[in-house]
Amino acid sequence: MTPDTLSITLSALADPTRRAILARLRSGKATVGELAEPFDMSLPAISKHLRVLEKAALINRETEAQWRLCTLAPEPLEEIDRWLSRYREFWEQSLGRLGEYLDQPATEENEDG
Amino acid sequence: MAEAATGGMPDRVLHLVRHYPHPRERVFAAWTEPAQLVKWWGPKGVHIPHCQMDVRVDGSWETTMRNEDGREFFVSGRYLEITRPARLVFTWAWTSDGERGHETTVTVEFNEKRDGTELVLTQTLFETNESRDLHNEGWSSSLDCLAEHL
Repeated sequence: MTPDTLSITLSALADPTRRAILARLRSGKATVGELAEPFDMSLPAISKHLRVLEKAALINRETEAQWRLCTLAPEPLEEIDRWLSRYREFWEQSLGRLGEYLDQPATEENEDG
Repeated sequence: MAEAATGGMPDRVLHLVRHYPHPRERVFAAWTEPAQLVKWWGPKGVHIPHCQMDVRVDGSWETTMRNEDGREFFVSGRYLEITRPARLVFTWAWTSDGERGHETTVTVEFNEKRDGTELVLTQTLFETNESRDLHNEGWSSSLDCLAEHL
């Protein structure tokens, strides 16, 4: 996944309604109507959110009998988790170094605290 | 209400807790004074050839990290909240190929403990304007209830 794809995923996720839709899809396939149910929103508004999610490859749409069903596509989320783990590493190492730094005897630069 | 908005979907939040046997004024200073920050900022083997911090609300900060291979990484943001010595909130984004990437928000809480400081770091990957609005709605309706009760 290129960084650009990551940006698309992140901007698709930067909305609570879309995150809630994905949360709903974790428990299984759903129709647009079912997805719209918990929200005080029109079907076209929900469809717009679904298009954003589909573009970001976060959901797939399939037709089953006469129903168009949405399913969750986990790959972009896994990519975000990998991206996030790099942040975790950054902070874990930094906070470890912060501890070592604080444990040093005070020098001119840090004795004001 | 915020719970309903996120619906248990992990909001891609990073949460770390550390304990330092030092007064929180000292820990806070290590975050807000450039001369101190460059001593520990970044992963092992990294050093900071450039660090600029305008530590006030809406002030900007930026650091350049250089790793052992000489590669440089630029990260910047601005301060959203500074409550000395208890809380520091700032935005954060890497710049690569001249383009500033996705912005995240880092909240650092410095909690006073009998034997030092508990540091709680939270990094959220998404702007939470919408969820803030939901919180506000929650608050307004609680206040309405209170008004009714009175």
